[in-house]
Amino acid sequence: MNETREPCAPRGAADFCLSCVLTCALVAAAVAGSFVYLGIDFGTLFSVGAGADMARFAASFFPPDLEPDFLRKTAYGALQTFAVAMIGTLLAAAAGLLLALPAAGRHGAAAERLSRFLLNLLRSVPELVWATLMVLAAGLGPFAGVLALALHTTGVLGRLFAEAIENAPPQPEQSLLETGSGGVPAFLYGTLPLVWAQSVAYGLYRLEMNIRMAAVLGFVGAGGLGQMLYFHLSIFQQAQAATVLIAMFVLVLAVDALSDRLRAWMGHS
Amino acid sequence: MGFELESAGLTHGNGFRALQRVSLRVGRGERVAVIGPSGAGKTSLIRLLGTALRPTEGRLDVLGANPWRLSAGALRRLRARIGTIHQSPPIPPRLRVVTAIHAGRLGRWPAWKGLLSLLYPVDVAGAHAALARFDLADRLFERCDRLSGGQLQRVGIARVLYQQPDLILADEPVSALDPALADAALGELVAESARSGASLFASLHAVDLALKWFPRIIGLRGGEVVFDLPTARLTDSMLHELYAAEGAMLPVQARDAAAGATTDPEADAKVIRLDTSRGR
Repeated sequence: MNETREPCAPRGAADFCLSCVLTCALVAAAVAGSFVYLGIDFGTLFSVGAGADMARFAASFFPPDLEPDFLRKTAYGALQTFAVAMIGTLLAAAAGLLLALPAAGRHGAAAERLSRFLLNLLRSVPELVWATLMVLAAGLGPFAGVLALALHTTGVLGRLFAEAIENAPPQPEQSLLETGSGGVPAFLYGTLPLVWAQSVAYGLYRLEMNIRMAAVLGFVGAGGLGQMLYFHLSIFQQAQAATVLIAMFVLVLAVDALSDRLRAWMGHS
Repeated sequence: MGFELESAGLTHGNGFRALQRVSLRVGRGERVAVIGPSGAGKTSLIRLLGTALRPTEGRLDVLGANPWRLSAGALRRLRARIGTIHQSPPIPPRLRVVTAIHAGRLGRWPAWKGLLSLLYPVDVAGAHAALARFDLADRLFERCDRLSGGQLQRVGIARVLYQQPDLILADEPVSALDPALADAALGELVAESARSGASLFASLHAVDLALKWFPRIIGLRGGEVVFDLPTARLTDSMLHELYAAEGAMLPVQARDAAAGATTDPEADAKVIRLDTSRGR
Protein backbone atom coordinates (compact mmCIF):
# COMPACT_ATOMS: atom_id res chain seq x y z
CA MET A 1 0.00 0.00 0.00
CA ASN A 2 2.71 2.45 1.03
CA GLU A 3 4.71 1.86 -2.10
CA THR A 4 2.13 3.40 -4.40
CA ARG A 5 2.91 7.07 -4.12
CA GLU A 6 0.68 9.78 -5.45
CA PRO A 7 2.24 11.27 -8.57
CA CYS A 8 2.04 14.83 -7.18
CA ALA A 9 3.42 14.07 -3.71
CA PRO A 10 6.51 16.10 -2.67
CA ARG A 11 9.73 14.17 -2.93
CA GLY A 12 11.44 15.66 0.10
CA ALA A 13 13.92 18.46 0.62
CA ALA A 14 16.05 17.29 -2.27
CA ASP A 15 13.30 18.39 -4.65
CA PHE A 16 14.74 21.89 -5.04
CA CYS A 17 12.34 24.39 -6.63
CA LEU A 18 14.51 26.42 -8.99
CA SER A 19 11.66 28.41 -10.54
CA CYS A 20 10.39 29.46 -7.06
CA VAL A 21 13.80 30.89 -6.13
CA LEU A 22 14.16 32.61 -9.49
CA THR A 23 10.70 34.16 -9.18
CA CYS A 24 11.43 35.45 -5.68
CA ALA A 25 14.74 36.92 -6.82
CA LEU A 26 13.06 38.62 -9.80
CA VAL A 27 10.34 40.15 -7.60
CA ALA A 28 12.93 41.40 -5.11
CA ALA A 29 14.97 42.92 -7.93
CA ALA A 30 11.88 44.61 -9.38
CA VAL A 31 10.98 46.12 -5.99
CA ALA A 32 14.49 47.42 -5.45
CA GLY A 33 14.59 48.80 -9.00
CA SER A 34 11.27 50.60 -8.47
CA PHE A 35 12.56 52.37 -5.37
CA VAL A 36 15.64 53.58 -7.22
CA TYR A 37 13.68 54.62 -10.32
CA LEU A 38 11.02 56.56 -8.38
CA GLY A 39 13.55 58.16 -6.08
CA ILE A 40 11.68 57.15 -2.95
CA ASP A 41 13.66 58.27 0.07
CA PHE A 42 12.29 57.04 3.39
CA GLY A 43 15.15 58.81 5.11
CA THR A 44 13.70 62.29 4.56
CA LEU A 45 10.17 61.05 5.30
CA PHE A 46 11.16 59.88 8.76
CA SER A 47 13.59 62.68 9.59
CA VAL A 48 13.00 64.89 12.63
CA GLY A 49 12.24 67.96 10.55
CA ALA A 50 9.70 66.16 8.40
CA GLY A 51 8.01 64.73 11.49
CA ALA A 52 7.63 68.19 12.98
CA ASP A 53 6.22 69.51 9.68
CA MET A 54 3.68 66.71 9.55
CA ALA A 55 2.67 67.28 13.16
CA ARG A 56 2.17 71.01 12.44
CA PHE A 57 0.09 70.26 9.37
CA ALA A 58 -2.04 67.72 11.21
CA ALA A 59 -2.50 70.09 14.14
CA SER A 60 -3.73 72.85 11.81
CA PHE A 61 -6.88 70.72 11.21
CA PHE A 62 -7.82 71.07 14.87
CA PRO A 63 -10.10 72.14 16.27
CA PRO A 64 -12.64 71.41 13.49
CA ASP A 65 -15.03 74.25 12.64
CA LEU A 66 -18.20 73.49 14.62
CA GLU A 67 -20.07 76.75 13.97
CA PRO A 68 -23.78 75.91 13.62
CA ASP A 69 -23.88 77.64 10.26
CA PHE A 70 -21.01 75.61 8.88
CA LEU A 71 -22.35 72.41 10.40
CA ARG A 72 -25.62 72.99 8.60
CA LYS A 73 -23.73 73.50 5.35
CA THR A 74 -21.78 70.29 5.95
CA ALA A 75 -24.93 68.34 6.74
CA TYR A 76 -26.43 69.59 3.50
CA GLY A 77 -23.28 68.48 1.67
CA ALA A 78 -23.47 65.05 3.30
CA LEU A 79 -27.10 64.73 2.27
CA GLN A 80 -26.19 65.68 -1.25
CA THR A 81 -23.41 63.08 -1.37
CA PHE A 82 -25.77 60.44 -0.01
CA ALA A 83 -28.43 61.37 -2.58
CA VAL A 84 -25.91 61.27 -5.43
CA ALA A 85 -24.75 57.79 -4.42
CA MET A 86 -28.30 56.55 -3.84
CA ILE A 87 -29.78 57.79 -7.10
CA GLY A 88 -26.69 56.80 -9.03
CA THR A 89 -26.88 53.24 -7.66
CA LEU A 90 -30.64 52.95 -8.18
CA LEU A 91 -30.41 54.12 -11.79
CA ALA A 92 -27.53 51.72 -12.31
CA ALA A 93 -29.48 48.81 -10.79
CA ALA A 94 -32.43 49.46 -13.12
CA ALA A 95 -30.27 49.90 -16.21
CA GLY A 96 -28.05 47.01 -15.16
CA LEU A 97 -31.04 44.66 -14.89
CA LEU A 98 -32.30 45.74 -18.33
CA LEU A 99 -28.88 45.10 -19.87
CA ALA A 100 -28.33 41.91 -17.87
CA LEU A 101 -31.28 40.16 -19.54
CA PRO A 102 -29.80 40.26 -23.04
CA ALA A 103 -26.28 39.85 -21.61
CA ALA A 104 -27.38 36.55 -20.04
CA GLY A 105 -28.13 35.31 -23.55
CA ARG A 106 -31.91 35.39 -23.28
CA HIS A 107 -32.52 37.38 -26.47
CA GLY A 108 -30.17 35.80 -28.94
CA ALA A 109 -26.45 35.83 -29.59
CA ALA A 110 -26.32 39.24 -31.28
CA ALA A 111 -28.07 41.00 -28.40
CA GLU A 112 -25.84 39.14 -25.95
CA ARG A 113 -22.64 40.27 -27.62
CA LEU A 114 -23.85 43.85 -28.00
CA SER A 115 -25.01 44.22 -24.40
CA ARG A 116 -21.86 42.56 -23.07
CA PHE A 117 -19.75 44.98 -25.08
CA LEU A 118 -21.76 47.88 -23.72
CA LEU A 119 -21.40 46.65 -20.13
CA ASN A 120 -17.65 46.18 -20.57
CA LEU A 121 -17.34 49.67 -22.01
CA LEU A 122 -19.29 51.26 -19.14
CA ARG A 123 -17.33 49.30 -16.57
CA SER A 124 -13.85 49.85 -17.95
CA VAL A 125 -14.10 53.66 -17.73
CA PRO A 126 -13.52 54.65 -14.08
CA GLU A 127 -16.02 56.84 -12.22
CA LEU A 128 -13.61 59.77 -12.06
CA VAL A 129 -13.19 59.78 -15.83
CA TRP A 130 -16.94 59.52 -16.33
CA ALA A 131 -17.35 62.40 -13.87
CA THR A 132 -14.90 64.59 -15.79
CA LEU A 133 -16.77 63.84 -19.02
CA MET A 134 -20.17 64.41 -17.40
CA VAL A 135 -19.08 67.72 -15.89
CA LEU A 136 -18.24 68.79 -19.41
CA ALA A 137 -21.57 67.47 -20.73
CA ALA A 138 -24.00 68.34 -17.93
CA GLY A 139 -22.17 71.14 -16.14
CA LEU A 140 -20.81 71.38 -12.60
CA GLY A 141 -22.94 69.92 -9.82
CA PRO A 142 -24.47 66.78 -8.37
CA PHE A 143 -26.23 65.79 -11.61
CA ALA A 144 -22.87 65.10 -13.23
CA GLY A 145 -21.95 63.00 -10.20
CA VAL A 146 -25.15 60.96 -10.47
CA LEU A 147 -24.55 60.30 -14.16
CA ALA A 148 -20.94 59.32 -13.58
CA LEU A 149 -21.79 56.84 -10.83
CA ALA A 150 -24.78 55.47 -12.73
CA LEU A 151 -22.75 54.84 -15.89
CA HIS A 152 -19.88 53.00 -14.24
CA THR A 153 -22.08 51.08 -11.77
CA THR A 154 -24.41 49.99 -14.58
CA GLY A 155 -21.47 48.20 -16.12
CA VAL A 156 -20.55 46.51 -12.84
CA LEU A 157 -24.04 45.54 -11.68
CA GLY A 158 -25.16 44.55 -15.18
CA ARG A 159 -22.40 41.99 -15.41
CA LEU A 160 -23.06 40.64 -11.90
CA PHE A 161 -26.83 40.41 -12.56
CA ALA A 162 -26.21 38.69 -15.89
CA GLU A 163 -24.04 36.09 -14.21
CA ALA A 164 -26.63 35.50 -11.50
CA ILE A 165 -29.36 35.04 -14.13
CA GLU A 166 -27.20 32.71 -16.19
CA ASN A 167 -26.39 30.55 -13.20
CA ALA A 168 -29.98 30.29 -11.99
CA PRO A 169 -31.60 26.91 -12.77
CA PRO A 170 -33.90 27.30 -15.81
CA GLN A 171 -36.64 24.81 -14.82
CA PRO A 172 -38.91 27.14 -12.81
CA GLU A 173 -39.24 29.68 -15.62
CA GLN A 174 -39.40 26.96 -18.27
CA SER A 175 -42.23 25.19 -16.48
CA LEU A 176 -44.22 28.42 -16.35
CA LEU A 177 -43.71 29.03 -20.07
CA GLU A 178 -45.04 25.51 -20.56
CA THR A 179 -48.26 26.47 -18.80
CA GLY A 180 -48.76 29.28 -21.31
CA SER A 181 -47.39 32.12 -19.21
CA GLY A 182 -46.04 35.20 -20.96
CA GLY A 183 -42.32 35.84 -20.95
CA VAL A 184 -42.32 38.68 -18.42
CA PRO A 185 -44.47 36.99 -15.74
CA ALA A 186 -42.54 33.75 -16.24
CA PHE A 187 -39.28 35.60 -15.55
CA LEU A 188 -40.73 37.39 -12.53
CA TYR A 189 -42.19 34.22 -10.98
CA GLY A 190 -39.56 31.74 -12.13
CA THR A 191 -36.13 33.36 -12.26
CA LEU A 192 -36.26 36.64 -10.35
CA PRO A 193 -36.98 34.94 -6.98
CA LEU A 194 -33.82 32.90 -7.55
CA VAL A 195 -31.59 35.90 -8.16
CA TRP A 196 -33.06 38.90 -6.41
CA ALA A 197 -31.58 38.34 -2.95
CA GLN A 198 -28.09 38.08 -4.38
CA SER A 199 -28.73 41.02 -6.69
CA VAL A 200 -29.91 43.28 -3.87
CA ALA A 201 -26.82 42.30 -1.88
CA TYR A 202 -24.65 43.30 -4.85
CA GLY A 203 -26.57 46.57 -5.11
CA LEU A 204 -26.05 47.40 -1.42
CA TYR A 205 -22.37 46.61 -1.68
CA ARG A 206 -22.06 48.95 -4.66
CA LEU A 207 -24.00 51.60 -2.71
CA GLU A 208 -21.36 51.47 0.01
CA MET A 209 -18.61 51.90 -2.57
CA ASN A 210 -20.52 54.66 -4.32
CA ILE A 211 -20.87 56.67 -1.09
CA ARG A 212 -17.09 56.78 -0.84
CA MET A 213 -16.79 57.45 -4.54
CA ALA A 214 -19.42 60.22 -4.47
CA ALA A 215 -17.32 62.00 -1.86
CA VAL A 216 -14.29 61.86 -4.15
CA LEU A 217 -16.23 62.88 -7.26
CA GLY A 218 -16.79 66.30 -5.66
CA PHE A 219 -13.13 67.02 -6.43
CA VAL A 220 -13.92 67.27 -10.13
CA GLY A 221 -16.93 69.46 -9.45
CA ALA A 222 -19.71 66.94 -8.91
CA GLY A 223 -21.07 68.54 -5.70
CA GLY A 224 -21.45 67.24 -2.18
CA LEU A 225 -18.86 66.79 0.54
CA GLY A 226 -16.03 66.30 -1.93
CA GLN A 227 -16.54 69.67 -3.52
CA MET A 228 -16.57 71.32 -0.07
CA LEU A 229 -13.39 69.51 0.92
CA TYR A 230 -11.65 70.53 -2.27
CA PHE A 231 -12.77 74.14 -1.86
CA HIS A 232 -11.65 74.52 1.76
CA LEU A 233 -8.37 72.70 1.29
CA SER A 234 -7.42 74.80 -1.69
CA ILE A 235 -7.81 78.02 0.32
CA PHE A 236 -6.04 76.49 3.34
CA GLN A 237 -9.10 76.43 5.63
CA GLN A 238 -8.03 73.28 7.45
CA ALA A 239 -10.55 73.65 10.28
CA GLN A 240 -13.45 73.53 7.82
CA ALA A 241 -11.79 70.70 5.90
CA ALA A 242 -11.53 68.73 9.14
CA THR A 243 -15.28 69.06 9.71
CA VAL A 244 -15.96 67.81 6.19
CA LEU A 245 -13.61 64.88 6.66
CA ILE A 246 -15.38 63.92 9.88
CA ALA A 247 -18.74 64.16 8.09
CA MET A 248 -17.46 61.83 5.35
CA PHE A 249 -16.28 59.36 7.94
CA VAL A 250 -19.63 59.40 9.75
CA LEU A 251 -21.60 59.07 6.50
CA VAL A 252 -19.56 56.09 5.31
CA LEU A 253 -19.88 54.36 8.68
CA ALA A 254 -23.63 54.99 8.81
CA VAL A 255 -24.27 53.63 5.32
CA ASP A 256 -22.06 50.58 5.93
CA ALA A 257 -23.94 49.81 9.13
CA LEU A 258 -27.29 50.31 7.43
CA SER A 259 -26.47 48.04 4.52
CA ASP A 260 -25.03 45.40 6.87
CA ARG A 261 -28.33 45.44 8.75
CA LEU A 262 -30.33 45.18 5.52
CA ARG A 263 -28.28 42.29 4.24
CA ALA A 264 -28.54 40.42 7.52
CA TRP A 265 -32.29 41.00 7.55
CA MET A 266 -32.61 39.72 3.98
CA GLY A 267 -30.65 36.63 4.84
CA HIS A 268 -33.14 35.79 7.57
CA SER A 269 -36.47 36.57 5.98
CA MET B 1 -60.45 14.68 -26.89
CA GLY B 2 -57.53 14.43 -24.50
CA PHE B 3 -54.66 13.68 -26.81
CA GLU B 4 -53.62 11.42 -29.62
CA LEU B 5 -50.22 10.15 -30.67
CA GLU B 6 -49.73 8.38 -33.97
CA SER B 7 -46.51 6.37 -34.33
CA ALA B 8 -44.70 9.19 -32.60
CA GLY B 9 -41.00 9.02 -31.86
CA LEU B 10 -38.52 11.18 -30.05
CA THR B 11 -34.81 11.15 -30.72
CA HIS B 12 -32.72 13.40 -28.51
CA GLY B 13 -29.98 15.64 -29.90
CA ASN B 14 -27.34 13.15 -28.81
CA GLY B 15 -28.94 10.44 -30.93
CA PHE B 16 -30.64 8.63 -28.06
CA ARG B 17 -34.04 7.26 -29.09
CA ALA B 18 -36.25 8.01 -26.08
CA LEU B 19 -39.54 7.00 -27.73
CA GLN B 20 -40.46 5.10 -30.86
CA ARG B 21 -43.66 4.07 -32.64
CA VAL B 22 -45.87 5.28 -29.80
CA SER B 23 -49.54 5.31 -30.75
CA LEU B 24 -52.01 6.31 -28.05
CA ARG B 25 -55.40 7.83 -27.84
CA VAL B 26 -56.73 9.17 -24.57
CA GLY B 27 -60.21 10.59 -24.46
CA ARG B 28 -61.61 13.52 -22.58
CA GLY B 29 -61.93 12.79 -18.87
CA GLU B 30 -60.10 9.50 -19.21
CA ARG B 31 -57.60 8.47 -16.53
CA VAL B 32 -54.52 6.58 -17.64
CA ALA B 33 -51.39 5.56 -15.81
CA VAL B 34 -48.12 4.80 -17.53
CA ILE B 35 -45.73 2.42 -15.76
CA GLY B 36 -42.40 0.91 -16.65
CA PRO B 37 -38.83 0.53 -15.47
CA SER B 38 -36.70 3.63 -15.07
CA GLY B 39 -35.39 4.86 -18.39
CA ALA B 40 -38.42 3.50 -20.18
CA GLY B 41 -39.30 6.94 -21.58
CA LYS B 42 -42.09 7.92 -19.18
CA THR B 43 -40.75 11.41 -18.60
CA SER B 44 -40.03 11.92 -22.31
CA LEU B 45 -43.60 10.91 -23.12
CA ILE B 46 -44.98 13.40 -20.62
CA ARG B 47 -42.74 16.19 -21.87
CA LEU B 48 -43.87 15.41 -25.39
CA LEU B 49 -47.52 15.69 -24.38
CA GLY B 50 -46.81 18.85 -22.39
CA THR B 51 -45.44 20.45 -25.59
CA ALA B 52 -42.07 20.90 -23.90
CA LEU B 53 -40.48 18.61 -26.49
CA ARG B 54 -41.36 18.25 -30.13
CA PRO B 55 -41.77 14.73 -31.55
CA THR B 56 -39.11 13.93 -34.13
CA GLU B 57 -41.42 11.50 -35.93
CA GLY B 58 -45.12 10.86 -36.14
CA ARG B 59 -48.07 13.01 -35.22
CA LEU B 60 -49.15 14.59 -31.96
CA ASP B 61 -52.55 16.06 -31.20
CA VAL B 62 -53.22 17.64 -27.82
CA LEU B 63 -56.71 18.85 -26.87
CA GLY B 64 -57.72 18.80 -30.52
CA ALA B 65 -54.79 20.72 -31.97
CA ASN B 66 -51.34 20.01 -33.29
CA PRO B 67 -49.31 22.26 -30.98
CA TRP B 68 -46.41 22.60 -33.41
CA ARG B 69 -48.61 24.02 -36.16
CA LEU B 70 -50.12 26.72 -33.94
CA SER B 71 -49.19 30.37 -33.86
CA ALA B 72 -47.30 31.56 -30.78
CA GLY B 73 -50.45 33.02 -29.23
CA ALA B 74 -52.55 29.93 -29.89
CA LEU B 75 -49.79 27.70 -28.50
CA ARG B 76 -49.78 29.76 -25.32
CA ARG B 77 -53.56 29.40 -24.98
CA LEU B 78 -53.26 25.65 -25.56
CA ARG B 79 -50.46 25.35 -22.99
CA ALA B 80 -52.59 27.19 -20.43
CA ARG B 81 -55.00 24.24 -20.69
CA ILE B 82 -52.27 21.64 -19.97
CA GLY B 83 -51.08 21.26 -16.41
CA THR B 84 -47.88 19.33 -15.79
CA ILE B 85 -46.93 18.05 -12.34
CA HIS B 86 -43.16 17.61 -12.26
CA GLN B 87 -41.43 14.99 -10.17
CA SER B 88 -39.33 17.67 -8.44
CA PRO B 89 -41.49 20.77 -8.27
CA PRO B 90 -39.84 23.60 -10.24
CA ILE B 91 -40.57 26.24 -7.61
CA PRO B 92 -37.97 28.84 -6.59
CA PRO B 93 -37.09 28.33 -2.89
CA ARG B 94 -37.67 31.92 -1.80
CA LEU B 95 -41.17 32.14 -3.26
CA ARG B 96 -44.06 32.14 -0.83
CA VAL B 97 -46.43 29.20 -1.14
CA VAL B 98 -49.34 31.45 -2.09
CA THR B 99 -47.29 32.97 -4.93
CA ALA B 100 -46.15 29.54 -6.09
CA ILE B 101 -49.79 28.46 -6.31
CA HIS B 102 -50.81 31.62 -8.16
CA ALA B 103 -48.08 30.98 -10.73
CA GLY B 104 -50.30 28.14 -11.97
CA ARG B 105 -52.73 30.61 -13.51
CA LEU B 106 -50.18 32.86 -15.20
CA GLY B 107 -51.24 31.38 -18.53
CA ARG B 108 -54.85 32.45 -17.97
CA TRP B 109 -54.34 35.74 -16.20
CA PRO B 110 -53.50 38.87 -18.13
CA ALA B 111 -49.91 39.96 -17.47
CA TRP B 112 -50.93 42.87 -15.22
CA LYS B 113 -52.73 40.51 -12.88
CA GLY B 114 -49.69 38.29 -12.55
CA LEU B 115 -47.49 41.30 -11.80
CA LEU B 116 -50.00 42.68 -9.31
CA SER B 117 -50.15 39.35 -7.52
CA LEU B 118 -46.42 39.52 -6.87
CA LEU B 119 -46.99 42.71 -4.87
CA TYR B 120 -50.19 41.61 -3.22
CA PRO B 121 -51.74 38.12 -3.65
CA VAL B 122 -54.94 38.63 -5.64
CA ASP B 123 -56.67 35.34 -4.92
CA VAL B 124 -55.82 34.19 -1.41
CA ALA B 125 -59.07 32.25 -1.09
CA GLY B 126 -58.44 30.23 -4.25
CA ALA B 127 -54.89 29.34 -3.24
CA HIS B 128 -56.13 28.46 0.24
CA ALA B 129 -58.74 26.11 -1.18
CA ALA B 130 -56.22 24.40 -3.45
CA LEU B 131 -53.84 23.84 -0.54
CA ALA B 132 -56.57 22.69 1.82
CA ARG B 133 -57.12 19.66 -0.41
CA PHE B 134 -53.61 18.55 0.50
CA ASP B 135 -53.72 19.47 4.19
CA LEU B 136 -51.36 22.39 3.64
CA ALA B 137 -53.70 25.33 4.17
CA ASP B 138 -51.72 26.49 7.20
CA ARG B 139 -48.60 26.87 5.03
CA LEU B 140 -50.16 29.45 2.73
CA PHE B 141 -47.74 32.28 3.53
CA GLU B 142 -44.72 30.12 4.32
CA ARG B 143 -41.65 30.37 2.14
CA CYS B 144 -41.20 27.30 -0.04
CA ASP B 145 -37.70 26.56 1.28
CA ARG B 146 -39.22 26.04 4.72
CA LEU B 147 -41.28 23.10 3.45
CA SER B 148 -40.21 19.47 3.45
CA GLY B 149 -39.74 17.64 0.16
CA GLY B 150 -43.11 15.96 0.49
CA GLN B 151 -44.88 19.21 1.31
CA LEU B 152 -43.26 20.91 -1.67
CA GLN B 153 -44.37 18.11 -3.97
CA ARG B 154 -47.94 18.58 -2.74
CA VAL B 155 -47.65 22.33 -3.36
CA GLY B 156 -46.61 21.43 -6.91
CA ILE B 157 -49.75 19.31 -7.31
CA ALA B 158 -51.95 22.00 -5.76
CA ARG B 159 -50.54 24.54 -8.22
CA VAL B 160 -51.63 22.43 -11.16
CA LEU B 161 -55.10 21.88 -9.72
CA TYR B 162 -55.34 25.66 -9.20
CA GLN B 163 -54.49 26.06 -12.88
CA GLN B 164 -57.71 24.15 -13.73
CA PRO B 165 -56.29 22.46 -16.82
CA ASP B 166 -58.21 20.31 -19.28
CA LEU B 167 -55.34 17.84 -19.40
CA ILE B 168 -53.39 16.93 -16.27
CA LEU B 169 -50.00 15.37 -16.91
CA ALA B 170 -48.22 14.00 -13.88
CA ASP B 171 -44.62 12.78 -13.88
CA GLU B 172 -44.19 10.59 -10.79
CA PRO B 173 -46.33 13.05 -8.84
CA VAL B 174 -46.13 11.28 -5.47
CA SER B 175 -42.53 10.00 -5.49
CA ALA B 176 -41.57 12.04 -2.39
CA LEU B 177 -44.64 11.16 -0.33
CA ASP B 178 -45.07 8.41 2.21
CA PRO B 179 -47.60 5.69 1.29
CA ALA B 180 -50.59 7.21 3.06
CA LEU B 181 -50.02 10.69 1.68
CA ALA B 182 -49.22 9.35 -1.79
CA ASP B 183 -52.49 7.49 -1.83
CA ALA B 184 -54.43 10.52 -0.62
CA ALA B 185 -52.76 12.84 -3.14
CA LEU B 186 -53.51 10.49 -6.05
CA GLY B 187 -57.08 10.21 -4.84
CA GLU B 188 -57.31 14.00 -4.94
CA LEU B 189 -56.00 14.07 -8.51
CA VAL B 190 -58.51 11.44 -9.57
CA ALA B 191 -61.31 13.31 -7.83
CA GLU B 192 -60.33 16.52 -9.61
CA SER B 193 -60.36 14.73 -12.95
CA ALA B 194 -63.78 13.30 -12.20
CA ARG B 195 -65.12 16.68 -11.08
CA SER B 196 -63.77 18.85 -13.90
CA GLY B 197 -63.73 16.28 -16.69
CA ALA B 198 -60.01 16.80 -17.25
CA SER B 199 -58.03 13.91 -18.66
CA LEU B 200 -55.42 12.58 -16.27
CA PHE B 201 -52.24 10.99 -17.55
CA ALA B 202 -49.78 10.01 -14.84
CA SER B 203 -46.51 8.14 -14.83
CA LEU B 204 -46.06 6.15 -11.66
CA HIS B 205 -43.20 4.20 -10.21
CA ALA B 206 -45.43 2.29 -7.82
CA VAL B 207 -47.44 -0.35 -9.63
CA ASP B 208 -49.92 -0.85 -6.80
CA LEU B 209 -50.98 2.80 -6.90
CA ALA B 210 -51.48 2.64 -10.65
CA LEU B 211 -53.61 -0.47 -10.35
CA LYS B 212 -55.67 1.03 -7.55
CA TRP B 213 -56.52 4.42 -9.03
CA PHE B 214 -56.46 4.04 -12.80
CA PRO B 215 -58.86 2.10 -15.03
CA ARG B 216 -56.34 1.92 -17.87
CA ILE B 217 -52.62 1.16 -17.70
CA ILE B 218 -49.93 1.61 -20.29
CA GLY B 219 -46.69 -0.33 -19.97
CA LEU B 220 -43.65 1.38 -21.43
CA ARG B 221 -40.25 -0.19 -21.91
CA GLY B 222 -37.29 0.95 -24.00
CA GLY B 223 -39.35 3.81 -25.42
CA GLU B 224 -42.06 1.48 -26.80
CA VAL B 225 -45.55 0.68 -25.62
CA VAL B 226 -45.55 -2.93 -24.38
CA PHE B 227 -49.21 -3.07 -23.41
CA ASP B 228 -52.17 -0.70 -23.25
CA LEU B 229 -55.01 -2.40 -21.39
CA PRO B 230 -57.90 -1.88 -19.01
CA THR B 231 -56.62 -2.58 -15.51
CA ALA B 232 -58.93 -5.57 -15.12
CA ARG B 233 -57.30 -7.39 -18.02
CA LEU B 234 -53.78 -6.89 -16.77
CA THR B 235 -52.10 -10.06 -15.53
CA ASP B 236 -49.29 -10.55 -13.04
CA SER B 237 -47.06 -12.12 -15.68
CA MET B 238 -47.40 -9.04 -17.90
CA LEU B 239 -46.28 -6.84 -15.04
CA HIS B 240 -43.38 -9.09 -14.15
CA GLU B 241 -42.30 -9.19 -17.76
CA LEU B 242 -42.39 -5.39 -17.94
CA TYR B 243 -40.05 -5.11 -14.97
CA ALA B 244 -37.98 -8.19 -15.84
CA ALA B 245 -34.77 -6.18 -15.97
CA GLU B 246 -35.30 -4.80 -12.45
CA GLY B 247 -35.46 -8.13 -10.66
CA ALA B 248 -38.22 -10.37 -9.44
CA MET B 249 -40.11 -7.83 -7.36
CA LEU B 250 -42.51 -5.25 -8.67
CA PRO B 251 -41.88 -1.70 -7.48
CA VAL B 252 -44.74 -0.81 -5.16
CA GLN B 253 -45.38 2.13 -2.90
CA ALA B 254 -46.59 0.22 0.12
CA ARG B 255 -43.60 -2.08 0.44
CA ASP B 256 -41.52 0.76 1.91
CA ALA B 257 -43.81 0.72 4.91
CA ALA B 258 -43.86 -3.08 5.17
CA ALA B 259 -40.07 -3.22 5.48
CA GLY B 260 -39.24 -5.59 2.67
CA ALA B 261 -42.00 -8.14 3.05
CA THR B 262 -42.36 -10.15 -0.14
CA THR B 263 -46.12 -10.34 0.09
CA ASP B 264 -47.73 -7.38 1.71
CA PRO B 265 -51.43 -7.78 2.22
CA GLU B 266 -50.93 -5.93 5.48
CA ALA B 267 -49.53 -2.90 3.74
CA ASP B 268 -52.30 -2.98 1.17
CA ALA B 269 -54.84 -3.03 3.95
CA LYS B 270 -53.10 -0.08 5.53
CA VAL B 271 -53.31 1.99 2.37
CA ILE B 272 -56.97 1.28 2.02
CA ARG B 273 -57.69 2.00 5.62
CA LEU B 274 -55.97 5.39 5.46
CA ASP B 275 -57.73 6.04 2.22
CA THR B 276 -61.14 5.56 3.73
CA SER B 277 -60.21 7.81 6.61
CA ARG B 278 -59.36 10.62 4.24
CA GLY B 279 -62.85 11.99 4.67
CA ARG B 280 -63.47 12.70 0.98
